[in-house]
Amino acid sequence: MVKRKLVSVVDDDESVRESLPDLLRSFGLEVEPFACAEAFLASASLQRTGCLILDVAMPGMTGPELQQELNRRKHDIPIVFVTAHSVERVRPQVLQRGAVACLFKPFSETAILEAVNTALGKG
Amino acid sequence: MEIELSRLIEALPGLVWTARPDGRADFVNRRWCEYAGTRPEQAIGHGWRSAIHPEDRDRLLDRWRAILESGQPGEVEARLRRHDGAYRWFLFSAAPLADPSGRVVKWCGVATDVDERVRAEQAVRAREAQFRSIFDGLPVLVTLMTPDGGLDLANRHFLEFFGVSLEAWKEGWPNASSFHPEDFPVVHEAWRRSAGTGERYDLEARRRRADGVYRWMRLRGFPLRGPQGQIVSWCSLQTDIDDAKIAEAKLAAEKRLLELVARGVPPPVVLEALCRQVEALAPGCFCSILLVAPGQERFLVGAGPSLPDSYNAILHGKTIDPGYGPCSLAVALKAPVITADLQKDSRWASSVWPPLMAEHGLASCWSMPILSSAQDCLGVFAIYRCEPEAPTAGEAELIDRFTNLAGIAIERAQADAELKAREAELSQAYRRLTEAQRLSKTGSFTWDVQADEHNWSEEIRRIFGFDARTKVTMAMIQAAIHPEDAPAVEAVIGRAVEGANFDLVFRILGSGGALRYAHVVAHRIEEITDRPMFIGALQDVTENKVAEEALNRARDDLAHVARVTALSALTASIAHEVNQPLAGIITNASTCLRMLAADPPNLDGARATAQRTIRDGNRASEVIQRLRALFARKSPATEPVDMNDAAGEVLALSSGELQRRHVVLRTDFTDGLPAVSGDRVQLQQVILNLILNAADAMGGVDDRARELLVATFRDEMGHVALSVRDTGVGIEPQNLQKLFDTFYTTKAEGMGIGLSVSRSIVESHEGRLWATVNEGPGATFSFSLPCGSGRAPGENPGARTTEGKAAARQMLGKT
Repeated sequence: MVKRKLVSVVDDDESVRESLPDLLRSFGLEVEPFACAEAFLASASLQRTGCLILDVAMPGMTGPELQQELNRRKHDIPIVFVTAHSVERVRPQVLQRGAVACLFKPFSETAILEAVNTALGKG
Repeated sequence: MEIELSRLIEALPGLVWTARPDGRADFVNRRWCEYAGTRPEQAIGHGWRSAIHPEDRDRLLDRWRAILESGQPGEVEARLRRHDGAYRWFLFSAAPLADPSGRVVKWCGVATDVDERVRAEQAVRAREAQFRSIFDGLPVLVTLMTPDGGLDLANRHFLEFFGVSLEAWKEGWPNASSFHPEDFPVVHEAWRRSAGTGERYDLEARRRRADGVYRWMRLRGFPLRGPQGQIVSWCSLQTDIDDAKIAEAKLAAEKRLLELVARGVPPPVVLEALCRQVEALAPGCFCSILLVAPGQERFLVGAGPSLPDSYNAILHGKTIDPGYGPCSLAVALKAPVITADLQKDSRWASSVWPPLMAEHGLASCWSMPILSSAQDCLGVFAIYRCEPEAPTAGEAELIDRFTNLAGIAIERAQADAELKAREAELSQAYRRLTEAQRLSKTGSFTWDVQADEHNWSEEIRRIFGFDARTKVTMAMIQAAIHPEDAPAVEAVIGRAVEGANFDLVFRILGSGGALRYAHVVAHRIEEITDRPMFIGALQDVTENKVAEEALNRARDDLAHVARVTALSALTASIAHEVNQPLAGIITNASTCLRMLAADPPNLDGARATAQRTIRDGNRASEVIQRLRALFARKSPATEPVDMNDAAGEVLALSSGELQRRHVVLRTDFTDGLPAVSGDRVQLQQVILNLILNAADAMGGVDDRARELLVATFRDEMGHVALSVRDTGVGIEPQNLQKLFDTFYTTKAEGMGIGLSVSRSIVESHEGRLWATVNEGPGATFSFSLPCGSGRAPGENPGARTTEGKAAARQMLGKT
């Protein structure tokens, strides 16, 4: 089984889509940003993704919905949720469904790297 | 001798004739023939008779026969026809010629022309007759008296008045007893004085007429003097002034009574005086006045001063019964009822009234209804007599006139009573009005602009601090007005001079420095067209004003609470808005550090990430600034507000929240809208409220898209409007009005202040806020504001006129 090393970032916020891939790339990771869940699902990267960094609140399909869709499709991609909402109730829900972590924006470099590494390690 | 005699006879200056003893003429002279135009032989015998005037002939012949029989000389006057047919008066004188034995042998006669004398005598007699007829015909009693007062001559009226002949009078008619005993001494004294001094006299006295009735006469006398100035006789003129005297007495009595009525003397006094006057004018009468109170069936004694008390007592309170007596019947018939002879009047045969009359010695009763000007029966005027008598024409007239007077007196009294009652009512109404004005702190006034006449009620004086006696002038009013409000008041006065109505709130600066707010409303009195005259009310609205200020403060507090509440709902979204760029900043900063630390350093990358850091920092900063502006509590300010900008900022803050709630936001902003004038933060609060309400309304909607359409546009009034349309649960039409009430809410967590605060904000900007039910699902909330003329709440406008009605209402706490 080929190790999937691709980190996909799905976030409707442009500044996240710009900054986070650059940071992760500086650690030697391959990163691909998507502006919405639908674009990610439709992309070829779906199969190669070893870690999905996923925003919770997005227009159209939300992060937790994408998680459920992936579960339904049996895509066992480790997911790191990032959210700007300090809403506590989403967190246990997504973790219970198998997410690796759920980080609140703004997050530290250490926290995101640790979560990504954990995810990739799992894969 | 014969010839000589004959010539002598012919020469005599007269008509000469001779006759035989039997009277037959045997000679006429030439002058006779010349005068009569006859020949001598025609006159001889009885021929001369035909020349005598037919009217005189018989008398002359009778006389001639008498002379012949007497044998004595005699004469007679008669008219003799002249030759030309004219008659002239002649004196025929005849004398007998006797023989020595005394036997008449011949009659000698002369006819002398006496025409002028006779005619003069006739003229004198005619004048005398004329004088006599004038004397007798004079409508006064005329006498000529000797200087000592003895009767010399009296005219026919005099003799007829006293029913005596001149001769009888001269023979000793009792002059003194022809005067009324009370008047004779006065007359006698006056005569005595005039006889002494020769001065004329003029006096009034009663004299007894032939029928025994005393009549008032006016007696005037003056002396007639002889050539030496001595009094030769007195001429006396007497005029019957009795009718005039009575009329005068009646008039005087009426005048006295009318004066009493006019003076407002109490009716019992007037009516008693009336009775006494009539009793004085008609001796032997007893007067009674009975009153009928309106709607009453009983008599009340109005007056009866000469009737026995016991009789009056029976009449007082007597039920009006036409079968009882003439007074009752007169009321029923509204016509006079005369009972001339009680004993013979069958109308009262079964009544107890006649015995009652008899008991009091009364025998006749004349009852006259007293009618008002509206022909209502006010009472009865009755005259009683002890003898059975019917009223004479004079008495009937007297009764008529005084009944009329009684009516006037009673009506006047009733009118007085009514007037007093009305006055009392009016003064009570005035007291109540004053009290009501005091309680409502509202004074009333009228103002004659040109005359500077101010009619002020007590309350308006109290509000201004003017005492009740001071005459109010415009200068006084102007001095009492707060200097800041003076220009507005001046403007109103300027327009009032031209007749414009006014409605104004201004401040009064009392003498003690106390400040009062007054609201005045005045309208021109339309009935007065020649000059502006206003009627108005002025209310002391100081308390309202103070309450309103408290209300304004409370509303500001409430608005703040509402704002904070609304913003609290945004906390999560706002955190999201801030966290989002913060995440970018930290991530970029980390990347930047790593790029700089690489070997070789990636400077280009570091620069790009640093720039993104700055951009995200600005983005976070903007959010914070917007937030701070909305949370800040500043006093309201007026500034031009671009509705699109204001709405855009609110949407920027709330878009995260909307997104979180899965609300699809669409905007439809009209470009180029004019700015509105107002408080930006307050208006944004309204927009935010509407947006959050719309989002709340769609919270439970899962079967359709949650769509929010925010649109700006100009409404049909040209105002700038903003509407927020949702696809939520909508509004029940019956709740459309309640929506805006404070503390009305359909939300479990809501306080129900959002919409009421929003409406009060919009209205304080002179705009309006309303809700409509969509044709599809959901509701639309809109508000509109006038362009550029808005006014922020809490601003003190000083004085305003009716042009700012909404604001005035607000000032008065009527919103």
